[in-house]
Amino acid sequence: MTPLLALAVVLAGGIAAIVRAVVSATFARRRGFPWAVLVVNVAGSGIGGAVMALAERADVSSDLALVLVTGFCGGLTTFSTMSVETVQLVRDGRLVTALASVAGNLTLGLGAAALAYLAVR
Amino acid sequence: MAHPSRHPDWRVLLAVFGGGVVGTGLRLAIGTLSSDGAFPTSTLVINVVGSFALGLLAAASWRWATLTVRAALGPGLVGSFTTFSAVAVGVVGLVEADAPALALAYSAVTLTLGLAAAWLGLRVGGARRAVTERR
Repeated sequence: MTPLLALAVVLAGGIAAIVRAVVSATFARRRGFPWAVLVVNVAGSGIGGAVMALAERADVSSDLALVLVTGFCGGLTTFSTMSVETVQLVRDGRLVTALASVAGNLTLGLGAAALAYLAVR
Repeated sequence: MAHPSRHPDWRVLLAVFGGGVVGTGLRLAIGTLSSDGAFPTSTLVINVVGSFALGLLAAASWRWATLTVRAALGPGLVGSFTTFSAVAVGVVGLVEADAPALALAYSAVTLTLGLAAAWLGLRVGGARRAVTERR
């Protein structure tokens, strides 16, 4: 990997982290459900699935795919916030919300990746 | 977890950006240096370690750190280090490669170990805080 490619990947990750922070701030008032993480995870998984299909068709170079998938989608989505928020919900006795959040992230996130991949392929 | 700020100013966003660059760089380095077989072990390790770290931060560091430091470490560094899209894309890839059992195992192990690590991080961080407060 060239240093320039690595730089492009980490810059994409930094920009995506800003996007995630803005989404997070937008949903901060809706305290009932961890919407922000769900939104970024579904969006990032969908983009990731689409780019993977484009890269397989060679419509997107492997370098650009790395910048978009590892850099942007990886930086936009987050697993740690989902797991910590879920444990905190369970600790607060909000089991249904915790379960709904995990189930939503898994089904909608994996669903978005699969649908985008199949639609673009 | 509460976001550091409802209206993030440019310093907070710059801190998130800096943390995001470092977190993505660490994830890229681990992914590049590790030689995973069919099972995406490096992403699993990243997500489990990151969940523990964020649990620790959420429990312990959130009180002493300034808004900017919190933004750099939490949503920036750890938030960008861990990834959900790589799991989703990895699962789709495993199903595509005719390994649905491996795809199921990957998602189940990621979720179980990730939640356990977050719980442990919160517990260890919380315990440390309790010790500090008693002094």
